[in-house]
Amino acid sequence: MKRVAWLLAVVLSMGAVGAEAEKPATRADAEKDPVLRAMLKELDRSVEQLQLPGSLKPYFIQYRTEDVASYTARAEFGAIEGAGHAHHRVVVVTVRVGDRKADSSGSPADATAEQACVGDDEVALRSALWAATDRAYKVALASYAQKQAALKQVQTPPQANDFSEELPVIALGARARLEVEHGIWPERMMRVSGLYRAAENKKLAGGVVDGARAAFEAMARTTWLVTSEGTIVRKGTTSFEETFAASTQADDGMRLTRSYSSTGASVADLDAEEVFAKHAEELLSSLGDLRQAPLVEEEYHGPVLLSGDASADTLRALLSGVTAMRPRLGTEARTVGAFASSYHARVLPDFLEVVDDPTLKSFNGKALVGAYRVDDEGVTGEQVKLVEGGKLQGYLIGRQPVRDFPHSNGHGRAAIVGPARPHISVLKVTPREGMTNEALEKRMLEIARDRGLDHVYIVQTLGGVQFPRLLYRVGTDGKRTLVRGAALDDMDNRTLRSSVEAAGKDLWVANYTDDVPTTVLAPALLVDDVTVKRANEKNAKLPFYPPPR
Amino acid sequence: MPGKSQPSQARYAVRTAAFLLLALPWSQLAAHAAEPTPPILEAMTAELDRAFAELGHAAQPSAAGKQLPPYFLSYSVQDAQVVTIGAQYGAVVNSTTNRLRSADVQVRVGSAQLDNTHGDHRGTAVHTVRLPLTENREAFQRLLWVATNAGYGAALDNYLRVKTESEVRAKEEDSSADFSQEKPQVHVGKPAQPVEVDRAAWEKRVAALSRVLREFPEVYASQSMLSVQNTTTYYASSEGARIVTPYRLANLVVIAMTRAEDGMDLIQMRTFQAETVEGLPTQAEMERSVRQMAVQLAALRKAPVTEPFNGPAILSGRAAAVFFHEVLGHRLEGQRQRGDKEGQTFTKELGKPVLPEFLSVIDDPTQAVLDGVALNGHYSYDSEGQPAQRVELIDKGVLKTFLMSRMPIASFAQSNGHGRAQAGRMPNGRQGNLMVTSTRTTTEAELRRQLIEEAKRQGKPYGLYFEDISSGFTLTQRAAPQAFQVIPLVVWRVYADGRPDELVRGVSIVGTPLAAMKKILVTGDKPELFNGICGAESGSVPVSAVAPALLVSEMETQRQPQGSSRPPILSMPQDGRQTGPQGTSTSGASAAAQQQQEAQ
Repeated sequence: MKRVAWLLAVVLSMGAVGAEAEKPATRADAEKDPVLRAMLKELDRSVEQLQLPGSLKPYFIQYRTEDVASYTARAEFGAIEGAGHAHHRVVVVTVRVGDRKADSSGSPADATAEQACVGDDEVALRSALWAATDRAYKVALASYAQKQAALKQVQTPPQANDFSEELPVIALGARARLEVEHGIWPERMMRVSGLYRAAENKKLAGGVVDGARAAFEAMARTTWLVTSEGTIVRKGTTSFEETFAASTQADDGMRLTRSYSSTGASVADLDAEEVFAKHAEELLSSLGDLRQAPLVEEEYHGPVLLSGDASADTLRALLSGVTAMRPRLGTEARTVGAFASSYHARVLPDFLEVVDDPTLKSFNGKALVGAYRVDDEGVTGEQVKLVEGGKLQGYLIGRQPVRDFPHSNGHGRAAIVGPARPHISVLKVTPREGMTNEALEKRMLEIARDRGLDHVYIVQTLGGVQFPRLLYRVGTDGKRTLVRGAALDDMDNRTLRSSVEAAGKDLWVANYTDDVPTTVLAPALLVDDVTVKRANEKNAKLPFYPPPR
Repeated sequence: MPGKSQPSQARYAVRTAAFLLLALPWSQLAAHAAEPTPPILEAMTAELDRAFAELGHAAQPSAAGKQLPPYFLSYSVQDAQVVTIGAQYGAVVNSTTNRLRSADVQVRVGSAQLDNTHGDHRGTAVHTVRLPLTENREAFQRLLWVATNAGYGAALDNYLRVKTESEVRAKEEDSSADFSQEKPQVHVGKPAQPVEVDRAAWEKRVAALSRVLREFPEVYASQSMLSVQNTTTYYASSEGARIVTPYRLANLVVIAMTRAEDGMDLIQMRTFQAETVEGLPTQAEMERSVRQMAVQLAALRKAPVTEPFNGPAILSGRAAAVFFHEVLGHRLEGQRQRGDKEGQTFTKELGKPVLPEFLSVIDDPTQAVLDGVALNGHYSYDSEGQPAQRVELIDKGVLKTFLMSRMPIASFAQSNGHGRAQAGRMPNGRQGNLMVTSTRTTTEAELRRQLIEEAKRQGKPYGLYFEDISSGFTLTQRAAPQAFQVIPLVVWRVYADGRPDELVRGVSIVGTPLAAMKKILVTGDKPELFNGICGAESGSVPVSAVAPALLVSEMETQRQPQGSSRPPILSMPQDGRQTGPQGTSTSGASAAAQQQQEAQ
């Protein structure tokens, strides 16, 4: 999982911003684009002719073409390890047979992928679509037969239709273009990754850096989508990311790793080189601090303050299940996962509200990578009120309905290869009366004194939801000590529901540039009762011989 | 090269040798070499020497106590540049240049008799790290240090396990040592130049080859892929080996697939290889060959399905080469003669006849060219730094030796320069250029006549002609290459009553194909070459196989298992102006005529 704090990416189709104001686009406009023209031509042919004699015709076909151009430069220990461009295209085909009530979905026919040509050769592009369509249709027929057989095995009928009815959308944003001054990045990565030398000499308290990597990755992704219902979408997104990661060992062998990234939708959004270098240097000196930090105590139960950064990671992990997925056949369940039966039930303290809003493109001047206009099923993204007064009010949903939710709210999102699934976009968690950080700490220390504890913990950053990378022990006198080797326990949905004591007033912006980019806006959280204990990871041997000098 | 002959009785002697080298300035050694010492070799040698001197000897940073020093350490750095251009349905799908430098660090602790590579632990002795592309010595050494540390830690751990396992287990059948004693080699060749490819022109050429297949609507899927690589291997060991060898290969493969109406998938491929792209055939030649392949594939699609058959057969020279490589060559790899999990087909056959006495088999990686065509399996030094050797595997039908890496077996204690691996893998005994020769030869025409005779004698209506076969690995990329299968691609019925030859599809060879080898009656008089990439436990390595056509008295075949999926429902999209290749057909084409296109 790559995560990025405060430094972000705009993902919304760059040219689409202008397009929105123009008059509605038509199929004729779309056909000026050679890719869309080829896709529509092949789609028309499939809709008209694709049928195995004696079998059902598809009732829905969707073509998605993904074009990804990327540039990467990687360096380690001050030397370039690789740099170069890549460009590829895939087509992803969905074929459904049956009807909306019960169809073939839930099989590989939901997303059959085929490599496609990188240029706009019509026959080659159509051939890739044709090959994927043929496979998808055959799988869909088989899967429909299986579904019909399975339906006969259960008394309780499905709780909702298999596919929702939505209005077709025509939205033609601009193609994404990769604009990188590639001459400069190898050198820049070499300089950053070479910063370990100075740190090792000064700040690392006798430690040895056994990993110092810097990478620059730029990507331009264009998505074209057409459906047999008349939806035509073109959207482009670009993302840029610069990362630095370093690792060392403590004297007891404990592995200590830290990383930092800067992300944006254009190079201009990234840190200036000096700023990035400063972060890298701070990170390296934090490794020195961690080397000297005492080991966390064996076990602690009590209040813990999650910084906005740590809270965003935690909330993302615990709340990303608020999606509407098809439940197991024959059951009365609405959806699956931690929130399957939570509709209208309490899931958070009553002072927290949660919305997921793909239309939120920026927050406090920072671009949000989770935002988009149209999702990957061609449905316009909507703001969804998920939690109000602490109670669950809705789910994020694509075109697969569940009980009480017959329509998509524009949250069907797909990685480059793979089917669309409901997904968070920009998840915003807002407290009714947020507190300042000082007030939160004060409140935490009050709880500590009430319980007779002489210290509490603040989690500054997490490396994975369970493992704090920067964890401070705070004495009742307010004195902070960095500790290492901790793991958090009990950070689950129950804790979220009943143990969150208070929240901060400022929202932290966390952009996650995963295959499906998402953003979480989260306040710091004071959690009443969390277990902090030793991670007890295996401590590898220290180097058997010293590094070269 | 001036031989740096080392006393090599025991570990101590080897160590002494290494220290000698340490004390000896590298420049003195290099002075003997034809080429100046490349900076990469200097950097890796410096780190190798430092690591070997310090590991197990330096004061430990913690009070963990003294560790066992390694008795052997080697670095093998591969500096590879690969240009790849792929096309599908007549257009380019990818076009990339990759540059990759990586080092394989091999650490051995214990003794040559019993070390951390013993038994199942063999693969654990290699640790791979990516290296920088610039001549940054500091980063170079730092990364080698990281990998050496990891490798040494793993070696200590595995050695402990090996010792424990060997204490609790019954005595092994083959109690050979784990590592052979060999003379370290010094040979500093010239590093390979960067790949030079006119990318725009080759994108057009690869796309054009793919576009040929658009003329054939029944070729449902295809891939055309050019890959041009220039690689330099740098090898240094604690025994004093210092080797730099370049390697170049341009490979263009076109694969075409179709599906018969009954659901049987059919595949054909053409491979063109040369040292550089300039050496590849002309565009017209390649397009002609691809077109012929497509015509044959279309014919194959309509050909009748084979019936179970047990009778005489001819393998074309090219088919025989693949057959020998897969069925015989792999079973002669040294490591397959040792260990409970190996079939050990030939282990006890040493000195005994395994083929008819008119056949001999050698593997000779030292040969670079055959009749003007570059041999893929040529190399000067193997992946363990040993000089390539011409090895007589089978002499007049009698098994003489195996393909040996530095892993000894009961019958052979030394390497014969066949320890090969792709980057990142532990070397094993592998083939290079496998060559089958015969003293009982006859012409192609006579071979065909004898096939018909033999069919009549056995009361069969026809004999089979295997024009092309492929290794199972090549087609399926299977991870477990234990059963080195051969898959017939093009097979004809040669009728005894004089009817025209008939193409059949779906032929699969039954039972152990080894049996067929003992039933070879006579061979053709023209050796044919197969150049390819061979996959096995130690990864993909380039190989060649050379053999004449064979007449076998008995080959048992059956119908291959097949899929039941239908061919595509709609026809393949067309250019509109193109009508396809109607009218082109191979019916009646003789096997011999078809074979022309097989030679490179």
